[in-house]
Amino acid sequence: MIDINRYQSMAKLSLSESERARISDHADILVKSFDELEKINVDNASPLISVLNESNILREDIPRKFTTREELLSYAPEQSDGYFQVPKTID
Amino acid sequence: MKYEVVMGLEVHVELSTNSKLFCACSSKFGAEPNENVCPACLGMPGMPAVTNKRAIELGIAAGLVTNSEITKTISFDKKNYFYPDLPTGYQVTQLFAPICKNGWVEIETEKGKKKITLSQIHIEADAGKLVHDNRTDTSLIDYNRASVPLIEIVSNPDFRSAEEVVAYLEKLRQLLSFANVSDCKMQEGSMRCDVNISVMEKGATEYGVRTEIKNMNSLKAIAAAINYEAQRQIDALETASEELVQETRRWDDSKGQTFSMRQKEDATDYRYFPNTELMPISIEDKWIEEVRANLPEAAHDRFLRLTEKLGLSEYDSNIITGSKNLSDIFDKTMEYFSKPKEVANWIIVELLSIAKGDNKGEDDVKIDCKKFAKLMELVDSKVINRNVGKDLLSLVLTEDIDPEKYVEENKLGMISDTDMIDKVVQEVLVEFSKSVEEYKEGNQKVFGFLVGQTMRKLGGKANPQLINSLLKKHLS
Amino acid sequence: MDYFIIDYNVEGQNTLALEDSIMQKGRPITAGSKMLDNFIAPINATVVDKLSNEYKIAGKTVMDEFGIPSFFSGESDEISGAIKAVVDNAVSFSLCNDVFGKYRKQAADNKLCYIHPTYGTVSRYGLVPVASSMDQIGIVCKDMREGFKLLSLIAGNDEKDGAMFSEKSYSYDNNEQDLTLAIPDSVIRMADKNVQDAIGDFAKNFKTTSLDLEHFNVYKQVMYILSCAEISNNISRYDGVNFGYRTSNYTNIDELYTNSRTEGFGYHAKLTAIMGTMVLTENNYKTYYDKAMKLRRLIKDGVSFEGYDIIVLPCDIGKDPYDNLSLYSLANLAGLPSVSFSYKGQGIQLIANVRKESSLLTAWEVCMK
Repeated sequence: MIDINRYQSMAKLSLSESERARISDHADILVKSFDELEKINVDNASPLISVLNESNILREDIPRKFTTREELLSYAPEQSDGYFQVPKTID
Repeated sequence: MKYEVVMGLEVHVELSTNSKLFCACSSKFGAEPNENVCPACLGMPGMPAVTNKRAIELGIAAGLVTNSEITKTISFDKKNYFYPDLPTGYQVTQLFAPICKNGWVEIETEKGKKKITLSQIHIEADAGKLVHDNRTDTSLIDYNRASVPLIEIVSNPDFRSAEEVVAYLEKLRQLLSFANVSDCKMQEGSMRCDVNISVMEKGATEYGVRTEIKNMNSLKAIAAAINYEAQRQIDALETASEELVQETRRWDDSKGQTFSMRQKEDATDYRYFPNTELMPISIEDKWIEEVRANLPEAAHDRFLRLTEKLGLSEYDSNIITGSKNLSDIFDKTMEYFSKPKEVANWIIVELLSIAKGDNKGEDDVKIDCKKFAKLMELVDSKVINRNVGKDLLSLVLTEDIDPEKYVEENKLGMISDTDMIDKVVQEVLVEFSKSVEEYKEGNQKVFGFLVGQTMRKLGGKANPQLINSLLKKHLS
Repeated sequence: MDYFIIDYNVEGQNTLALEDSIMQKGRPITAGSKMLDNFIAPINATVVDKLSNEYKIAGKTVMDEFGIPSFFSGESDEISGAIKAVVDNAVSFSLCNDVFGKYRKQAADNKLCYIHPTYGTVSRYGLVPVASSMDQIGIVCKDMREGFKLLSLIAGNDEKDGAMFSEKSYSYDNNEQDLTLAIPDSVIRMADKNVQDAIGDFAKNFKTTSLDLEHFNVYKQVMYILSCAEISNNISRYDGVNFGYRTSNYTNIDELYTNSRTEGFGYHAKLTAIMGTMVLTENNYKTYYDKAMKLRRLIKDGVSFEGYDIIVLPCDIGKDPYDNLSLYSLANLAGLPSVSFSYKGQGIQLIANVRKESSLLTAWEVCMK
């Protein structure tokens, strides 16, 4: 049984009773299948992070304006005076 | 002193690149809110990150000036948490393969020299900025700063006093600004410092409970916060007035106290994992040597050059090499007018005081060095007198005038005609006969007054030495 | 079922559909999610720029939310919009991002072909990201040759995508070589007898060799763990703050986040977010995510392509979509190109080595003669 409360809180979700039950069932199936991994020794393997063997894909330091501020602010659910707006957040 | 204060520092420094770390938006400070943003740094889907080459070079430079080991292959990782200034819900940072390790910085305090050792330096992307609007009970977000490249310099817990911390920050600022890594301006947020602090009884083998203090926006605030927090911890241990817990505390400058920040649940499980969008970066020796060769001359080397080669006093050299901007002005001006003591004098005495009146410090003052040099030459060769020179300096600074042309057009050339000066001296002695009497009675100060009056009548342009000698002649 | 979420009412030859995860500047894009309701694409995908001279875009197709299918039996398995549009001849091609193999399977099931290119050969600029180390835009087509022709137009290095090979262009001609086919017998035997027979017939056209896919029994777990972590991270940007769906029910920032995401995400996205969160926590990282990355290394190293050019696999080995995931994991875990198609009425997929798509075209042409 996975700790759904903890993970939903970390993922900023609030599951309904039925979702929670369904996720719990599905998570159990998945986690049980992960048991197979225990049998394999990976001590001699290094993690594969990207299948691409390329390195040093870098960009020259040249600034470029994408578009007007107005156009991007138009995506904001709430905006004020050139800022994106959310409820007061202190931390 | 029963207790010892132990501190480690995490210093965040904004790199002086032109564009952001993972997108091409400008990273310059001071733009209108949300002027320098694009879909990528706003967290919108569809625009993959591509790493800024210059940011890596500045990371290498930071490693070189802090005697660090540069990691051969670096990569980026993702740190997951939700906060409105973080548009993607994760910060790109380096956990597994930071760019530098095991460096050190030498500091000097009243107690002498000390080596502060560094654990590591890593590159990460900055977040946006939140401003709180109390009227509407909302927070306003400006994403100009989101994805600006930062390095985080993590020290070992080597600090034992606020003085050491301040010396370290000043030294870091000098090292990094001279290397063109960052302008390190705390007031603009390009250098920020968090302090991890604990106290322990002298001779103890285990560190005490440590807290992290944040939100200090100046060196003064840092020193005050350290002293307050150290005392708070000592009081807690001595009187058991409160229990010390490992936590993050916020410095409140107006109240002069630290306050506990609200505890966050699961605050520390950031679920770090490797960033699969960004390919690793291999830093070969060749690249490191290129960066090293292009490093501007370090402050200390400039100091030695100014004192040993150019014969400046240590005092003057310290001032000039205290700021990269000032130091560059000195060197550039010397290219056109190569009398070091004169140049130093003009910078330290005249330029800085005029700039101060304009609310500009040694880091901000901007001047055309060729014109500055010309000005010095005009005074040095007695074409104009020094006072006229000072006035012109103001005009060069504010209006960028051409000094030579200006002198010609406004007939500011120094009057060295002895007969003319003599005539005016005699006029002054007649007009201010009372003062002459006072002088003859022994009041030496009046001499200066008479010089001043003579100079005034000559439109401020006369050769002061001549006025002096002629006045003396008539008064004796 | 309507396969177009937007229909541009364009007809004629050389039309194609885009899965609604590929951006066209100024047009709405949803990636199948309510979180992107009313989101207008700010950029044109590079693939769209590259193909617009020769192909007309007829519409955007309905898709699973962020391409996440259901992995559990008993759940409906509707035909995807991108597949149906080609089946119905509304378009000649569809472009999609096939992380989990759903398009490869459905193409073969519906007598179409799917081309899943080598990771890093087609730009992801303008693609809504799903699993960053596996995302790759591929092609649904009727004729493999025509599909490769389209692929050669859209493949090639794009400096706006930081994870690509440097090759500026690719051509996929039939290389007419003598191909050796590797046959993972133990996997083939898991399929239906009809499929086994079809693969047996197919193999007669080639030199063959046996292949042991050593870690096949953990392919799906490795695939699931890595993808759910990457997806949960790629969808953490959908938070109601500065674009996309925001709940109308909130009094503080936490409610804004939680309610927006709870109302905006569908079930499978939520399951993926929970699982992705779980495998990355400090306590679980070593057991799951780190282990899966190391297994990925072993899996990729295990297919050396020494002594063989292509691997053949069935498209279906069980009723459970999670089991079938194993079949489609190798290509995504190892970044290999793959094609699927129907042969003698059965679905078959072929996998080649990195950037060796030509072998796949050759193999297909051999058996289609």
